[in-house]
Amino acid sequence: MIQFFQVYKTYPGNIEALADISLKIEKGEFVFITGPSGAGKTTLLKLIIRAERPDRGEILVNGRNIARLKNSQIPLLRREVGFVFQDFKLLNHKTVYENIALVLEALKYKKREITKRVRQILRVVGLEEWVIKQTPLKLSGGEQQRVATARALVKSPSILLADEPTGNLDPGLTVEIMNLLEKVNHLGTTVLVATHDTNLVAKYKKRALPLYRGKLVG
Amino acid sequence: MGAFYFIRRALRDIKDNGLTHLLSIGTIAISFFLFASFLLVSINFDSFLQAWEKKVQIVLYLKDGVAKKRILQIEKEIQKQEEVQQVKYISKRKAMESFKRDLAPYGGLLEGLKEEVFPASLEIKLGEPFRTPERIKALAARLNKIKDVEEAQYGGIWLERFSIFLYILRWGAWVLGAVLVIIIVTVTANTVRLTLLNKRAEIEIMKLVGATDAFVKLPLYLEGGLQGLFGAGVSLLLLFLLFRFFSLKISPYLSLYFGQLRLSFLSPDLIAGIMGVGLASGLLGGLLSLQKAAEV
Repeated sequence: MIQFFQVYKTYPGNIEALADISLKIEKGEFVFITGPSGAGKTTLLKLIIRAERPDRGEILVNGRNIARLKNSQIPLLRREVGFVFQDFKLLNHKTVYENIALVLEALKYKKREITKRVRQILRVVGLEEWVIKQTPLKLSGGEQQRVATARALVKSPSILLADEPTGNLDPGLTVEIMNLLEKVNHLGTTVLVATHDTNLVAKYKKRALPLYRGKLVG
Repeated sequence: MGAFYFIRRALRDIKDNGLTHLLSIGTIAISFFLFASFLLVSINFDSFLQAWEKKVQIVLYLKDGVAKKRILQIEKEIQKQEEVQQVKYISKRKAMESFKRDLAPYGGLLEGLKEEVFPASLEIKLGEPFRTPERIKALAARLNKIKDVEEAQYGGIWLERFSIFLYILRWGAWVLGAVLVIIIVTVTANTVRLTLLNKRAEIEIMKLVGATDAFVKLPLYLEGGLQGLFGAGVSLLLLFLLFRFFSLKISPYLSLYFGQLRLSFLSPDLIAGIMGVGLASGLLGGLLSLQKAAEV
């Protein structure tokens, strides 16, 4: 469960990213965070994994108070939350396997378990076996997005955050990725998708939290 | 997931960034080579000095015409000195015989040489604790004052100069050692920092998926340590090869002057010490660069 209580965030230069945000997302929900570019969607997601700190207010994620979390506890929080970045953040000099395995290595999984889990998660996101030894730049945009999603899911997070996951994809691939996120949600993972695409929100009929200039509207 | 995993990751980082690490290990190796060479030279000079000190004796030349009774008196006087282990009288005849023996190949030239030409002398051997340049010099000065003594001779000036040279060499080695530590710390800190910049994306992802600080940083510390260790290892290997080469060339001449004396390489303790300094300074370099990098 995710809860925000009157959260404020301002960036240097007095740029107000979020103001007075209060919200509640239940376990197992699928929620859109919507709004135009610069509305504060990415900042909101970053606050959930403590990549940013709120200036004011409290944030609870799975019972942890994010604003007051000790540095040593941040890794524990991040293990429960998967993040699909807008620009994928794949390491282009590493293979698909290495990109995904890196997460499990960081979580100190054994080598045999890593191999098993990477293969499993690639099947879940619908990628074929041949992809495993490729580097990201040899893959299409849709395939890269799936690899990024696989990397976020491989540690079995209870919450998945996706920042504009369909931003760079054509309509056909967008449907595929959205179907994948719905599938993950049906398996019990709470899913938050940040998007500026109003058509997408209208089509999938999920709860939407509209942001405009850092404030929740409507 | 044990230490080997982190060492493997550190080695992988070194391999990924090969040229930079090669240059930094090379720089460390050159610095260590200079330091270890100083140490090696001073250790070997020290053993020459010790061998020389063992052989060293004072020769007391007596004035002509000193009576046998007086010589015995002088001998007794000398024996009273605490530094003296043994006193041996060399008569004019014995001196001549010894001279002739030493120069036997030139026998023809020595014919007609009379024993009067050679002064009688007393050869004085010193007790082991007193075979230092300062003690020898002081004793020789005292003996010189004895009545009927013409001159006290010893390899003193040479010995004194050599031991001053050795003293400077030894201090030079330690000053160089201190400079060396600064070089290693700086070089490794910079290389680790470069790795850090190269791997920023990877490190960011690791942190965002829940890797602990230690998991991210440990291989980088180790990378610094391994660089120091490799640098020290390479320098010692190079020094050893050069040492072998030169000792083969020099040894025959050494045995000519010093008998059984052999050149020796650095002791296992010193080798371990040098490797330890390499490792520790490298780790310190890694530590410093990671402390500066606030983003990690």
